[in-house]
Amino acid sequence: MRLFLLALAFVALALPFVAHAQSPELGAVIAAHRAEIEKPSRGSVGPVVEAIAATGPQGAALLQAWADRMLALRKSDGLLVITSPEDGNLKLTDAATGTDLGTAPEGEVTLLRPNSGVRGVISAALAGNALSDPDPKRRGEALDSLSRRADASQLALLREAMEDPDPALAARKQRLERLLTIQYDTDPKARIAAIESFGGDTGLDFRASLNPLLATRRGAMEEIPADANPARELAVGSDIPRDEAYALLVSEGLAPARLTPEAMRQTLAQHILDGKVGGVPLAQLHEQSARDRAYTALEAVGTVQPAASEAEVDAALDRYKFVDLYAEPKAEVTTAARAALRGTESRIGMMQAADLSLDALSLASIYFLAAIGLAVTFGVMGVINMAHGEFIMMGAYTGYVVQQFIADRTISLIVALPLAFIVTFAAGVALERLVIRHLYKRPLETLLATFGVSIALQQLAKNIFGTQARPLTSPAWLDGALTFNDVVSISYIRIAIFVLALVFLGLYLFIMNRTRLGLEVRAVTQNPAMAASMGISPDRINMLTFGLGSGIAGIAGVAIGLFAKVTSELGSDYIVQSFMTVVVGGVGNIWGTLAGAALIGFLQKGIEWFNPANTLAAQTYMILFIIIFIQFRPRGIIAAKGRAVGA
Amino acid sequence: MRKPLVLRHPSILVFLGVLAVFTVAVTVLSAGYGTGAISTSMVKTLGKTLCLALAAVAMDLVWGYAGILSLGQMAFFALGGYMIGMWLMVARTEGIVTGTLANLPIPPTDAEISAAVATQIFGVVGSDKFPLIWAFSGSLWGQLALVVLVPGLLALVFGWLAFRSRVNGVYLSILTQAMTLALALYLFQNDSGLRGNNGLSGLQNIPGLDAVGQEKLSVWFLWASALALGLGYLLIAWVASGKFGSVTRAIRDDEARVRFLGYSVESYKLVVFVLAAVVTAIAGALYYPQAGIINPAELAPIASIYLAVWVAIGGRGRLYGAAIGAVFVSLLSSWFTGGRAPDLNLGFYIVKWVDWWQVMLGLSFVLVTLFAPKGLSGLVDLFEGLRPPRRRGAALGPDMGALREKEAVE
Repeated sequence: MRLFLLALAFVALALPFVAHAQSPELGAVIAAHRAEIEKPSRGSVGPVVEAIAATGPQGAALLQAWADRMLALRKSDGLLVITSPEDGNLKLTDAATGTDLGTAPEGEVTLLRPNSGVRGVISAALAGNALSDPDPKRRGEALDSLSRRADASQLALLREAMEDPDPALAARKQRLERLLTIQYDTDPKARIAAIESFGGDTGLDFRASLNPLLATRRGAMEEIPADANPARELAVGSDIPRDEAYALLVSEGLAPARLTPEAMRQTLAQHILDGKVGGVPLAQLHEQSARDRAYTALEAVGTVQPAASEAEVDAALDRYKFVDLYAEPKAEVTTAARAALRGTESRIGMMQAADLSLDALSLASIYFLAAIGLAVTFGVMGVINMAHGEFIMMGAYTGYVVQQFIADRTISLIVALPLAFIVTFAAGVALERLVIRHLYKRPLETLLATFGVSIALQQLAKNIFGTQARPLTSPAWLDGALTFNDVVSISYIRIAIFVLALVFLGLYLFIMNRTRLGLEVRAVTQNPAMAASMGISPDRINMLTFGLGSGIAGIAGVAIGLFAKVTSELGSDYIVQSFMTVVVGGVGNIWGTLAGAALIGFLQKGIEWFNPANTLAAQTYMILFIIIFIQFRPRGIIAAKGRAVGA
Repeated sequence: MRKPLVLRHPSILVFLGVLAVFTVAVTVLSAGYGTGAISTSMVKTLGKTLCLALAAVAMDLVWGYAGILSLGQMAFFALGGYMIGMWLMVARTEGIVTGTLANLPIPPTDAEISAAVATQIFGVVGSDKFPLIWAFSGSLWGQLALVVLVPGLLALVFGWLAFRSRVNGVYLSILTQAMTLALALYLFQNDSGLRGNNGLSGLQNIPGLDAVGQEKLSVWFLWASALALGLGYLLIAWVASGKFGSVTRAIRDDEARVRFLGYSVESYKLVVFVLAAVVTAIAGALYYPQAGIINPAELAPIASIYLAVWVAIGGRGRLYGAAIGAVFVSLLSSWFTGGRAPDLNLGFYIVKWVDWWQVMLGLSFVLVTLFAPKGLSGLVDLFEGLRPPRRRGAALGPDMGALREKEAVE
């Protein structure tokens, strides 16, 4: 492969001279390279193709036909012809002159069928040609193919075709030319200039062109050659483990292999003599010291190769230097590339932080959505409803059922949201009237009773909908993502959930602060007896409040179902996090819930960022953090004040 | 001279007597030592049930006596199982590996055996070295000590943090639930050092006792479980009686008042919490060798809630109630979900118990909470003719502000 690249580079260097020295005639070129055209090979066809391409439009037509497998030899006289199908026969054109030769049956010609490697070379050459094509579309395509598979030869081609009437294409050519310059130019100054011209560009293509420059190879040598470009010298022990360093020496043939315990055992096993190895009885060989003795004895009589002893290992390690060498020999180029990459990386880091913040924001909105219903039932009423997660699940299944009846995704979503509210509102009111009302004085038992409801509902859902996940498909306009650049993007569905969370926040504030119901809810929360004296029915208010909280859970369920699989366990996945959101935020305050959701969302994403492979660990550490956080603020971020605290 | 504990609380004698009769009966009917009327797997199920009963008794101490609804008890249970499982797994693998290596011409060194054991155990999680936490796994006594120490220490640290900052009531419940969830998630990772979601397996084979056979081994474990349950019951009954128990119950009923009386509420709660954790861990250490396998799913929050469910159905605040609840509900559960219960034909619908048991359990749990807060052991009261006085809504106490009956159901 490297040889091939070298050959190509050589060709690229030689080519301009060939092209300019004379304006060759196509017939002569064909005649000169006849054998190569008939039996081309990928490694050697390069010069031929270049020579043909240099002859002008007729040469380009020949190459196009060649690449399309339409080039043929006429059997009668061996003339090279371009063929094209016509009425079951082939229409022949003289490849050298373009003269029409009439039609002939397929049997009269031998079609040349170059392999894909050869055709790759041909089409790369054609791309160079197409760069100056009058059609902007073809020029764009040529640029596309060039940026996908570029090599040194095309740098020259591209440079010759830099002028472009279309400003967008001209800009692309400029960029591509600089990218290719970085990789293939022979002049270090030009390469450095090209690297620096990008500034802190974060494009993937720029990073991709820098990376090969900075690729290193690890090696061991006594002296670093003057013309080498070392990235860094490795200290044995700290930069490179001792065993690894010695293994490197062994693999480069600079030192004898060390005796591994496994190898020693095998060697000893081969030299068992009358139940003894080197005079040491077999029964003693379960100790390493005895094995060493046996091996030394074998070494002494010369039956085995002496292995490297520790002292020899140390000496060998001292003698050699371990270095990472750049494949790129010019130090100033690698320095510039490293600096550019560092600048790029810091900008990418900032963008990743932005992207992570968007992720965290959307996770926070999901937690907020899941927890806001709980903020009503738990936060305002102080009722632990372990079945809250199952209300979320009920909402999601409502959305699924609606989709079975209404095919249009948008309309079904519009129907599902209020329907989910109604269903879970009714379920919540029923739960409150039948169970929770009787347990207001026994909060711990509310927890357990609602847990009973929760497992019953989960199993019911399993019985009705089965255990496999049901899809809740989002409308087409929620598919896709809002993309800012290579790094920062956010899917529309997450934006929708964020907006939904905001809407609910507004709705909650409106109901609690601006409506009669909210006034009565607050009154009953603060002092039920006093509220009752004022003509408010605490029973009715509790029922409505609980229904409201459950209804919100239902709508959250539809939203969560849009991106998560709808299963009977959907709710229990969120219940602990939801409770923690409310507890961390501070009970009885919607801003607290918001703060709690934001804290948990950002924290989880932040921890995931440190250890991206392991989301389980992120959740573990987050829960640990919350447990510790509760130590310092037992009442949450925004603590309730006054007499309500003890209640 | 005070009367001994068992005479002051005759229920203890009754419980121990029933337990002894049960153990003897199972032994006589077992395949290993008797007629074989009870299959070996059934003996194991009964032995496991006794361990669960012990965990439930410990739960009752925490919840029924101290009023701490801990939803993380199964974390201690599973930790106990993990600790004993580490030794079982290492010792057994060591036996197998030594057998294999002995066939080689050169006898193996200790380092080679250890490396081979590590490869065997941790191969599934892509590692071939013992993690640090397995440092004592070679020694039975070391791991037995850890069965007590690790859960005890976890309970001590967690309880100290939680009680110190006066987290109580439902907050504490949620926090304990978070603790067990965090632990479960941690153990699910492959690099947690405990084989990730593969868990520890093959625990039913006790090293050195291969010749005994599972029929007899299962009975041995039943004896051990019964002994542990009996001793644990005695210990907890002793703790719950007397002055310490009175203070604990007082904390359950009105924490602030006990604090104002000068008692160190936090210390009492901490002692109870740690003691219960240790007892639960011992129950777990006996349970998992009978179950044969342990994995992080055992720590899922739902398992601990089920423990609370058993105690509530059995009747909390009474140790025998907790044990009865655990035995009754867990045996019934395994009967219904095992597919052995006959389907119920309603004419228009056939009730398959595998599908509907959970629904029934959930609903019956709601009903018990609502209508029979004393649980199954309320039946004992009924039998003895003990009934709460019917006050017909009158005030509970003599002073003006006393709660009325309707306000203070509990």
